[in-house]
Amino acid sequence: MYLGLDVGGTHTDAVLIDKKTIVASFKAITDHSNLFSSIYRALDEVTKNVDKTKITRINLSTTLSTNAIVENKTEPVGLIISGGPGIDPNNYRLGDSFYVIPGSIDHRGSIIRDLDLASVKNALNECEKNGIKVYSMVTKFSTRNPDEEEYLAEKLEGTADFISLGHRLSGQLSFPRRIATAYYNSAVWRVYNSFSSAIDKGLGDLGIKTDVNVLKADGGTMPLSLSRNFPVETILSGPAASIMGIISLCHITEDSVILDIGGTTTDIAIFAGGAPLIEEEGVSFESTPTLVRSLMTRSIGIGGDSALNIQDGKVTAGPERRGPSMADGGKTPTLVDALNYNATISFGDTAASKKGIDDFAKKAGLKPDVLVKAAIEFAVSAITDEVNRMLARINEKPVYTIHEMLENRIVSPEKIYIMGGPAQGFLQYLHASFNREVVIPQNYAVANAIGAALAKPTFEIELFADTSKGQLIIPNLNVRERISGNYSLNQAQTEARSYLVEYCKNNGIDVSLEDIEVIESSSFKMVQGYYSTGKDIRVKCQVKPGVEIRIGD
Amino acid sequence: MIQAKRKMGLIFFPAFDWAIDPSHPEREERLLYTQDQLWEEGIFDIEGISEFKPDIATEEDVMRTHFCFPDVKSVVTESHMISAGGAIRAARLVMDGEVDRAFALVRPPGHHAMKSVHGNRGFCNINNEAIMVEYIRDHYGTSKIAIVDTDCHHGDGTQDVYWHDPNVLYISIHQDGRTLYPGSGHIPELGGPGARGRTINIPLPPGTSDDGFLYAIDNIVLPILDDFKPELIINSAGQDNHYTDPITNMNFSAQGYAILNDRLNPHIAVLEGGYSIQGALPYVNLGIVLAMAGVDYSFVKEPDFDREAIRQDKNISGYIEKVAEAVLDAYHNPPKDKSTARYGEYAVRKKQIYYDTDGIRENQVESVMYCKKCPGVLHMETVSSVNSLSFGIEIPFGACKSCRDEGIRVFREAKESGKYRTIHFINRFDREYIRV
Repeated sequence: MYLGLDVGGTHTDAVLIDKKTIVASFKAITDHSNLFSSIYRALDEVTKNVDKTKITRINLSTTLSTNAIVENKTEPVGLIISGGPGIDPNNYRLGDSFYVIPGSIDHRGSIIRDLDLASVKNALNECEKNGIKVYSMVTKFSTRNPDEEEYLAEKLEGTADFISLGHRLSGQLSFPRRIATAYYNSAVWRVYNSFSSAIDKGLGDLGIKTDVNVLKADGGTMPLSLSRNFPVETILSGPAASIMGIISLCHITEDSVILDIGGTTTDIAIFAGGAPLIEEEGVSFESTPTLVRSLMTRSIGIGGDSALNIQDGKVTAGPERRGPSMADGGKTPTLVDALNYNATISFGDTAASKKGIDDFAKKAGLKPDVLVKAAIEFAVSAITDEVNRMLARINEKPVYTIHEMLENRIVSPEKIYIMGGPAQGFLQYLHASFNREVVIPQNYAVANAIGAALAKPTFEIELFADTSKGQLIIPNLNVRERISGNYSLNQAQTEARSYLVEYCKNNGIDVSLEDIEVIESSSFKMVQGYYSTGKDIRVKCQVKPGVEIRIGD
Repeated sequence: MIQAKRKMGLIFFPAFDWAIDPSHPEREERLLYTQDQLWEEGIFDIEGISEFKPDIATEEDVMRTHFCFPDVKSVVTESHMISAGGAIRAARLVMDGEVDRAFALVRPPGHHAMKSVHGNRGFCNINNEAIMVEYIRDHYGTSKIAIVDTDCHHGDGTQDVYWHDPNVLYISIHQDGRTLYPGSGHIPELGGPGARGRTINIPLPPGTSDDGFLYAIDNIVLPILDDFKPELIINSAGQDNHYTDPITNMNFSAQGYAILNDRLNPHIAVLEGGYSIQGALPYVNLGIVLAMAGVDYSFVKEPDFDREAIRQDKNISGYIEKVAEAVLDAYHNPPKDKSTARYGEYAVRKKQIYYDTDGIRENQVESVMYCKKCPGVLHMETVSSVNSLSFGIEIPFGACKSCRDEGIRVFREAKESGKYRTIHFINRFDREYIRV
């Protein structure tokens, strides 16, 4: 049995799945002041009537790291960076203990200028004086040569509780993103680890002994034990849970749009050929770009509880929510009330909806049915416009080879999948707006928990080999190896895959060779003057997001 | 997050799967390290800088600009159409007001491609800037445009395309042609009879460093632009003046390139040459992007940068001051062209052109109408080691009615003569581009 648990902004959902069937589910309001108690209760309730030894895996999606950052409940971090020439690194200041060390590494990973030891010493002394216990070390091009980051970590041995090294978080280039990612990773480390310990203890108390994984923003999972060192990977996993849920509930094979219509917002995701699109560069968090891989989602302020407004004589809805719908005991009319009014749905206290709309329309000097029609149109076109903007951006994505340029793959959705409380109410309108088949999957109310339960592990690595230097590096696996001058792209691909499998095996991640796909691979001849000096080989591979089984398949 | 002062579009197309040949400087990884640097610096996370996909130039875009012999398909590959398309995309972004500035970081380059094209010369087949400028004039009607070519090699192709055009000011700043390919670009090369002073060459001595380049920008280029008052400034942005470039002899730096761009402030830049792909391009391109976007670039420099090691000789400074005087005088008081044509007559010149990359020799007889009212109808007979006698006629952008009628007459006559293997007819007046 798979147990999935999604701690969302509003609800905490849990499901238990046995052989493609949901055997138990539970939903409760999330207690943000005590996330652990919400989780404990959900675990307890959903496993009440089952043999706990039959639970083979628990997957957990939690807002803990996200909330810790948003609510500023993080720990001061000693952020020590070295940039060398380029954009002024002072632009990337985060927190109060920020130090820029002179030194530089170039794009080939050659150390051009050693770290300035006096500056290092001064930075570490000041951090220690200020009681800093967690650190992040990031140098430019550390994914090509991690020596300096590792050197900085050595200097702290025995004195720091935790150190994030930029190159261990991602193999991808982007010094500013690496800085932000490493910073957040250390900032939430302590709070995340005490939470993880509470989970471990809580499961013990409930008598559940099984593997525990956490959901990441890319729709994949990682073992809870491993996530203790990479807590930043758990930010923004909420939308991913719902999207993985849709994959579990529907057999999606074509280009499609996924809409998760909630109370306050609608989350949008796009699938290409049945697979969710990934934000390759990483997700932006609090408007700071990071290297945390994420499913590509957009959120707009349109939901069932979006308050109706009149702006400059125009009827609008959202983005603010002024409490629940009148049908649900609220005080101001919402989109749900509008859908109730024209009998698209029949939800809660429909009389309250009618009265609310009538009063609001009267005050605005509009006919109620005109108001309702305009409000729904506004909401639907806001969703449609945002989907089209996303598609334009996806289809405008630059490519770097003539082959891809001529191939010109265009994502063009054939189906719209919608879920969330108010989904039913929007169905006919979205159908008219997109002129595509619109599908509402069954069990969508707990799709997020289902998605969490069935999500499989994901992982991504980048291998970088330079045969003239005779060196191979896979930064986030901490692999460095000598290679010969005739090392080939084929060898690199094979090795990348086997290193990935081995790493996963050592960390309790269930991944086999077949799960791995090479997503980018290139080999460039390096020429000095008129002579070839070696090859610059790059291989990027991933275990892509997927689900264990499909419900009811 | 860093904010750009100017909205900037970057069209980055490295063509990782294309090379002239495997050990040629114009090869696959030319922009690989530039990409590494731009990504590592997080350029695209700067608020206001966005990346765009190139257009693919159409055959019409090429035929509007060049006479291609025997036809467009024979002289270009897809890579050239994408590179030219990248420049067009940059132009569209700026002209449509989507961005304030755009940089087409594309390859292969184009500034050695002349009006008539029989093959590849100086790594170039078709002229990206010229195709872009003609696209702009055709679609947006912009009349006065300046192209400032900062590639180390004289942009003899662009000079040739605009030789007779008084509305496109072409300024090339380059290593003296007596010391470098293609050998041309001397101060007396000032444009055809109807466009004197609209071609400006600033040959700089080998060893010129930041001081010399910036002196030339401040004292020659900017004053001339002030006087000409173009609606649009385009930088043909070669990066081979760099002190590490393997095939030139200049001492320009990344910081110098950034300052140059800051002062020149072009609306659009299009990458040209530059073959120090590790030591120069990553830093020069970074500097140019930041300068164009109005982001602080003062920390951009090469890791091994040593200002003293590349400082220019005093003699060079003195020499460049003299060049400046001569160029300014030539711009303001250009001597009359040696052609004796009077208004309403054709001025004729003969040219021999060598295509170094492809080893092709071309002989041309070019005739241009010395017209009071417009740049003048142009036609040329051309024969080369790969094409038998062919003919090109152009009724130019902004042509007067009588030049248009003359062009149509010449085209008809050429067809009837049966002398030519291929005839190309560019009719900008009626927007017709014909090959027979």
